Amino acid sequence: MLILNNISKKLGDFHLVNINLEISEGTYYVLLGRSGSGKTQLLELIAGLNSPDSGEIWLDGEDITRKKLQKRGIGLVFQDYAIFPNLTVFGNIAYSLESSSGDKKIIKEKVARVARELNISHLLGRNTHHLSGGELQRVALARTLITSPRLLLLDEPMASIDASLKDDIRRLLRRLNSHGLTIIHVTHDYREAVSLSSMVGVIHNGRIIQEGKPDEVFRKPVNKFVARYSGIRNFFRVKFRKDPEEWVAVSNSNLVISLADGSFPDEGLLIIRSEDIKISITRPDNNSVNCFRGIVTDILPSEYGVEVSVDAGETFYIDVSADTFRKQPLLESSEVWISFSPEAGVALEGSN
Amino acid sequence: MNRYGPFNWIFLILSSIVLLFLVAPLTGLFLHTGVNELFETANDKAVQESIALTVWISFAATLFFSIAAVPFSWLLARKTFYLKSVVQGIIDLPVVLPHTAAGIALLGFISRDGLLGKAASAVGLNLVNSRGGIALAMAFVSLPFLINAARDGFSAIPERLEKAALNLGASRTRVFFTISLPLAWRSIVTGFVMMFARGMSEFGAVVIIAYHPMIAPVLIYDRFSSFGLKYARPAAVLFIIVALVVFTILRLLSERRKSGDKRNDYADS
Repeated sequence: MLILNNISKKLGDFHLVNINLEISEGTYYVLLGRSGSGKTQLLELIAGLNSPDSGEIWLDGEDITRKKLQKRGIGLVFQDYAIFPNLTVFGNIAYSLESSSGDKKIIKEKVARVARELNISHLLGRNTHHLSGGELQRVALARTLITSPRLLLLDEPMASIDASLKDDIRRLLRRLNSHGLTIIHVTHDYREAVSLSSMVGVIHNGRIIQEGKPDEVFRKPVNKFVARYSGIRNFFRVKFRKDPEEWVAVSNSNLVISLADGSFPDEGLLIIRSEDIKISITRPDNNSVNCFRGIVTDILPSEYGVEVSVDAGETFYIDVSADTFRKQPLLESSEVWISFSPEAGVALEGSN
Repeated sequence: MNRYGPFNWIFLILSSIVLLFLVAPLTGLFLHTGVNELFETANDKAVQESIALTVWISFAATLFFSIAAVPFSWLLARKTFYLKSVVQGIIDLPVVLPHTAAGIALLGFISRDGLLGKAASAVGLNLVNSRGGIALAMAFVSLPFLINAARDGFSAIPERLEKAALNLGASRTRVFFTISLPLAWRSIVTGFVMMFARGMSEFGAVVIIAYHPMIAPVLIYDRFSSFGLKYARPAAVLFIIVALVVFTILRLLSERRKSGDKRNDYADS
């Protein structure tokens, strides 16, 4: 278990303030924040690249606040991977082993094993200069995993790889985590948090402003920042199914939502952004898919006008502009229709 | 024809004047030296010894001081400390100092009354008029070239690479030798060659520390002041040729070393 007690650190004009964290073994913790929010600095403190001005860091019951970074057993994968350009892929992966054990045969076996696991066996003899972003990331991961870290820290692991490779990396990270590896993953993208995390922390201006399970954090943001930042309120756990002609998502309360063509997991999370949902007092014409009758349960002023909550089997949150609300006032407990196109539904594979 | 306007022509003429100024004296020097004279001078034992002495003392001084100067350059690239800008200024001092003044300052330091001179004479060494003294004079004026080039080389390496290596459990010493040094190698070699070249060509500081044993620049001056231009010229040409050959070889070696780095040491693993 990793415990951060009142960690503070001043870095130039920037302050990390009273960070308290408890991350139990096997957790996939996603630290969500914009650039400049302090998330990378926090990772560097945990890894030992910097020391905090005050506070303590405990790992598995041991105070590691002042422990040398080489002795912490914490693996860090940098955002730009920090691959050693003067070494081959093999040299990079074997780097940590060559400082501790001299037996070349054992080193080769260990490197081959981790390379197989990460699908980079064919790259071992290559220089790193012409590797793609995805390949570099696998090399960086392999180089860290071979040290058998007690804790794996990932700094924006999806930031510089092609969209097509993100699914592969997500699967890989999920597999590592399911084998018991505790992971702290720093990102600015809430979708990564939703699809990977078992716990989410939102960091802003050097403070952790909300923490919890992803459903809780995104469903009940503690403040406007988290709400705006996550950008989503309509967040449903669903089962995906292919009806003869189309893909549908079936929610826990059996609401059937039509989806645009694509590939879907068996189950996961469905996100519908508030701005994609239309609301009307009468049933919209020519709209047979994703058109649901519901009851207005809440109307709250928002930045754009009002945010209307509608119970249509599941609770939907819909943004209504101030203008539209003036022209077509809605009342609490009144009956309304909500509709959205099949394209509005975004499926995320969510294991937690 | 108007492709080159007056602006380009003026710049072209100005550049040609500068280039001519640099090339003309050297060309003149070579043209005025007959092949026979050159062979005669090349067979002159005093000239041979003085050129060999210059090359190896400068090389030894550069090698010896680089053992301390390269780690010092890493510190300058990576650490911030109190009065760092003053230290940087001190490093550049020999470049702006008149070299005879540098020689006088150094003489005070290494003569029998000086700090280093006393220590040396305690172990039976006399630095004045000795090879050791010449090496110190050469190093004194040429060290900034190595330190500055190596510092720039280390600064250009992303610090994250060193941090990543530390995170993988390597000691600071191992990180220095396996990551920092190989990645800054090219700049270090450039600095090494520049320091070596500057040391070889040093006259002002060396002549004050040691007229004898005679290094090539002192020998050229000695021949000029004793016998005139005609006698100094072939020695100068010979020294220039040797210097050019040595630097070309060093450059080629460093290039080969660089392409050697790209080889896959684990290609057959």
